[in-house]
Amino acid sequence: MSEGLRIHDLRCSVDGGEILKGIDLTIEPGRVHALMGPNGSGKSTLAFSLTGHPKYEVTGSVLLDGEDLLALAPDKRARAGLFLSFQYPAAIPGVKVANFLHAARQAERPGDLPPAKFRALLLEKMDQLGIDPSFMGRYLNDGFSGGEKKRLEMLQLAVLAPKYAILDETDSGLDIDALKDVGDSIAALRASDEGRNTGFLIITHYPRILQYVIPDVVHVMIGGRIVKTGGHDLAHRIEREGYDVLREEAGAVA
Amino acid sequence: MPNSAVASPNELYDVLSSFDGALLSREERAHALDRFFALRSGREKPGRFWRVDLDSIAPDPGTVDATSASLQIDSHDSRVLVCDLATAARDHPQLLARAFATTGVDATKFGALARAFAGLGAFIYLRADVDCNDPITIAYAPPPGSAIFAHTIVLAEHGARATIVERIGGGEGAFFCGVSEVVTEERAQLLYAVVQHAGAGGRVISSRAMRPGRDAEVAWASAELGGDLAASDLSIAIEHPGARAEVTALFFPRAAEHVDVVSTVEHRAGEATSETLIKSAATDSGQARFLGNIRIAAHAQGSDARLRDDALLLSRNAHVDSVPALEIGANDVKAYHGATVGAIDEEQVFYVESRGIDRNAAERMIALGFFEPAIERFPTESLRSEIRRTLAEKLS
Repeated sequence: MSEGLRIHDLRCSVDGGEILKGIDLTIEPGRVHALMGPNGSGKSTLAFSLTGHPKYEVTGSVLLDGEDLLALAPDKRARAGLFLSFQYPAAIPGVKVANFLHAARQAERPGDLPPAKFRALLLEKMDQLGIDPSFMGRYLNDGFSGGEKKRLEMLQLAVLAPKYAILDETDSGLDIDALKDVGDSIAALRASDEGRNTGFLIITHYPRILQYVIPDVVHVMIGGRIVKTGGHDLAHRIEREGYDVLREEAGAVA
Repeated sequence: MPNSAVASPNELYDVLSSFDGALLSREERAHALDRFFALRSGREKPGRFWRVDLDSIAPDPGTVDATSASLQIDSHDSRVLVCDLATAARDHPQLLARAFATTGVDATKFGALARAFAGLGAFIYLRADVDCNDPITIAYAPPPGSAIFAHTIVLAEHGARATIVERIGGGEGAFFCGVSEVVTEERAQLLYAVVQHAGAGGRVISSRAMRPGRDAEVAWASAELGGDLAASDLSIAIEHPGARAEVTALFFPRAAEHVDVVSTVEHRAGEATSETLIKSAATDSGQARFLGNIRIAAHAQGSDARLRDDALLLSRNAHVDSVPALEIGANDVKAYHGATVGAIDEEQVFYVESRGIDRNAAERMIALGFFEPAIERFPTESLRSEIRRTLAEKLS
């Protein structure tokens, strides 16, 4: 069985229009990939295609440690070890944060933690993320500020410790303190036994978050294709030059 | 099917003679029955969606149960007087008269019917400043196929605090027609919860009225969870300033069940607040109608009235009508109403699924969460758990 999240010739259409035009990408366990690109390039579509959003028609192949991901319903993809930090997480009134996280952990790792230990784990992770313990009793994302929602996504990442995590613009709308907390929590997960082998796909518009989570590989997506792949220095180049130069290079190639 | 046809009025009048003359005279009962036949329910007529005609409902004279076997009273507080209605009429007539037949609840069709056959029921008297921690429970369980008429009468003196839980159960095909009258003096705090688990084929029609005193806090919390037909009137008439009134109702018809809830908050004095919260779901061919009345009189300045109702449709054939009706006569008031009707949001389902929870469990979680703000207004954790469990069973 070949390890890794292996994406091959992934194409995706919404309402008849092709948005992803053949994506090839492999995320190895424990590695951090950054996916950058201008608005509308298809980054979020890739995230939803991988996690199984019903609106997207997807072809191609995605193997998660050898398992055919595209054949699975969204909940089974999560149980296989895939996690998405949503750019715009849904609010679920009446469902308390603690109960939801416990249900999610139970679904993904049945019976691994008794309730008291789970509660202790939750409190520890909340403390790490600078989340007030009163959040446990609040309704999921209901009335949360943008920053609170993103911290809650990071809390779920920490509690679920998936094999592969996609972070869809987790940095957008965050102030510098929140950004640092997000970076710290990813670092803490990567340093833990549970998260040592987690592979990351960090989707971002701006290189800012990459100061806190240093990527092993940087990809640039434009017009539904990955047009350039490089090291950390590619992010710096985008910071200096913007996407236009790459767009021109990509246009020249196509 | 018992109780379904319009009974011959004469036979029903004949049944009146078997009821207690000490509580109400034969003439008073006959007048009430006259009103029952003369009044219209004001409810929707059968049409494209609605299948039940409340105006055609009358009990079968042969099934009327005049005994008190179906009543159970559970109160552990010796400082509170809780007794059955006949005992109250015999031993405490003056106390009873301060609440019984004082709220106008018998001005409605089914309030009048309950009045005509008044006999079964409970009287709760809370002396000034008495503070009850444990809920007082009044349970009605009509035998299968029978018709009972229940009165729960509450008198709370100034500063008294209590929680009352009325449980309605009952055997298959039973008919329950009940009335609650709650009268409080100033600063009383009273939460009256109703949990209705009628059996299959059961019909439950209740009319409930409250009159809070100055600076009193009163609340209805009603969960209509069983029976084939549940029709409920929840009303609060604010006649003294400073009162705080809360009306909560939740219901979830499935299969071919019908629920019809009318809430009415009358602001007849100013500087009072009311908050109405209705949460409903319907599945299969379940149907529900909610009418939410808020009336603010011209002189009731400084009133603050809020009304929120949300309905969740879980199948194509389910139907919920929701009608807010605000009549505002004063100009210096706050009044808010908001309503939603719709299916479960697919983005919510996907979010929950993306955390490893399968679709059915996700939908159940979201639907239960939808009810939670209403469930939280019920007293005691065990009652709240019971409501959650019953809703979860309906969802599975």
